[in-house]
Amino acid sequence: MATENLQIYDIKQEDERTLTIKWNSGRTQALDVVTLRKKCPCAACLDELTRKPILDPHSIPDSVRPLEINAIGRYAIGIKFNDGHATGIYTYDFLSKL
Amino acid sequence: MGLFTSSRDKVKASPIKGQDGPLQESTILNALKAVQDPDLHKDIVTLGFIKNLKISESLIAFEVNLTTPACPMKERIKNDCLSVLGDLAGGRKIEITMTAENPEKRPINAQLEASLGRVKNIIAVASGKGGVGKSTTTTNLAYALNALGAKVGILDADIYGPSIPLMTRPDAPNHNANNMLLPPEVDGVKIISMGLFTEKGKATILRGPMAGNVIRQFLMQVAWGELDYLLIDYPPGTGDIQLTISQTAPLSAAIMVTTPQEMSLIDVRKAVQMFETLKVPLLGVVETMSYFVCDGCEKKHFIFKSSGGEKLSQEFGLPILGRIPLDQSLVVASDEGKPAVKHQPNASGSLAYIECAAQMASQLSILNNKDQQAMHNFHITWK
Ligand SMILES: Nc1ncnc2c1ncn2[C@@H]1O[C@H](COP(=O)(O)OP(=O)(O)OP(=O)(O)O)[C@@H](O)[C@H]1O
Ligand SMILES: [Mg+2]
Repeated sequence: MATENLQIYDIKQEDERTLTIKWNSGRTQALDVVTLRKKCPCAACLDELTRKPILDPHSIPDSVRPLEINAIGRYAIGIKFNDGHATGIYTYDFLSKL
Repeated sequence: MGLFTSSRDKVKASPIKGQDGPLQESTILNALKAVQDPDLHKDIVTLGFIKNLKISESLIAFEVNLTTPACPMKERIKNDCLSVLGDLAGGRKIEITMTAENPEKRPINAQLEASLGRVKNIIAVASGKGGVGKSTTTTNLAYALNALGAKVGILDADIYGPSIPLMTRPDAPNHNANNMLLPPEVDGVKIISMGLFTEKGKATILRGPMAGNVIRQFLMQVAWGELDYLLIDYPPGTGDIQLTISQTAPLSAAIMVTTPQEMSLIDVRKAVQMFETLKVPLLGVVETMSYFVCDGCEKKHFIFKSSGGEKLSQEFGLPILGRIPLDQSLVVASDEGKPAVKHQPNASGSLAYIECAAQMASQLSILNNKDQQAMHNFHITWK
């Protein structure tokens, strides 16, 4: 589980459904917020032990959007979605591998 | 600068074939720019890690000065350097010395200079509750960091229930000429604990009414010498004693130890808040007794439904530095005074602690090398 110790140099809303992150590695990554919701890594959406998805991605409408995005420590971001879901901790490691 | 040109050079056939002129420092530095620090995501030349570069007819020598001792990436960086210089060296021997220095030296109280002046990182190992494996963690992390090449000391701050001496069996401490205590070493790790003193000795030490005084003596009157890490094993709980220790010791950072069952985070929250109030950065969480590896299969059985470490990590935004399995060899090793990481390095618990130490060193490296560009406090409202 060696984390790569990524850091965020810039993070912003690119367009209506894209979040872009500029990493310290120099890479800029565009992330689709609907995909982020479908891939939520929280315990309710992803089985903690088997790492198998519990959430059915088809149950998420394309209209889902974040309300707000916050830094969590120095290693993850938290996203509050407009469907009420807010428990996902998206680690930098996880995000960079999407 | 640094070129070696004596008359003897001309006699011997030049070792640099197919190149114009002698090998330049800039050529070496340019080549080394291909080597990245995997933790900091920048090349080691830009980071200013290359020191004392010397080039001669037969030798290329330099130091790579990393931000953290016991850097888990040390060997990798060294090998990368060797491989990018291989073609340029023209038969010269390449000598790389790996060193470590912290860029920011903590301002330290003049009273502590003699004892702690050469201690680079002081790390608190704390928890919300007792019995979660702090002392086991302190001991094994100390030996794991030591195995990674760091100079390590343990200060057992559990004055009334010291368990480090049982886990390591040190000799009694001596005094030096300045009447400072010399911490005994066990397999290369320096140790100070209330448990090292005879009843008479304790009486002298405990003359002061407060545990804080003892800690102050351990901090001020022990000749720790040069250390990369001094780990402080905290007493259980989150009361005044813990606060006093945290205020007295010039802590660089703290780690929190928890178990999967520790679901009530009230005490942990208190501990976290204490460190936050004192502006001591929290490096992360070590979850002990996390899972079980049975004899028959190598599978990790997570026998607890939920994870206290993960809950803690989520609530406070702390990375999980390691998850330590339930491992009988950790218990036996502690009882026999033979730390598992040192004496049974292949036990599942030892392997987990070794990885945990590497994570800890990485997190410290990030903390020590504050990247000005990195954003830690963003808040985006989606439009
Ligand atoms: N990973 C583990 N697997 C099995 N047993 C463990 C593990 N870690 C610790 N133990 C055992 O749990 C007990 C408590 O551990 P330890 O003394 O390290 O905890 P502590 O937090 O320092 O306790 P205290 O609060 O009393 O200082 C010990 O008997 C120890 O051997
Ligand atoms: Mg203890």
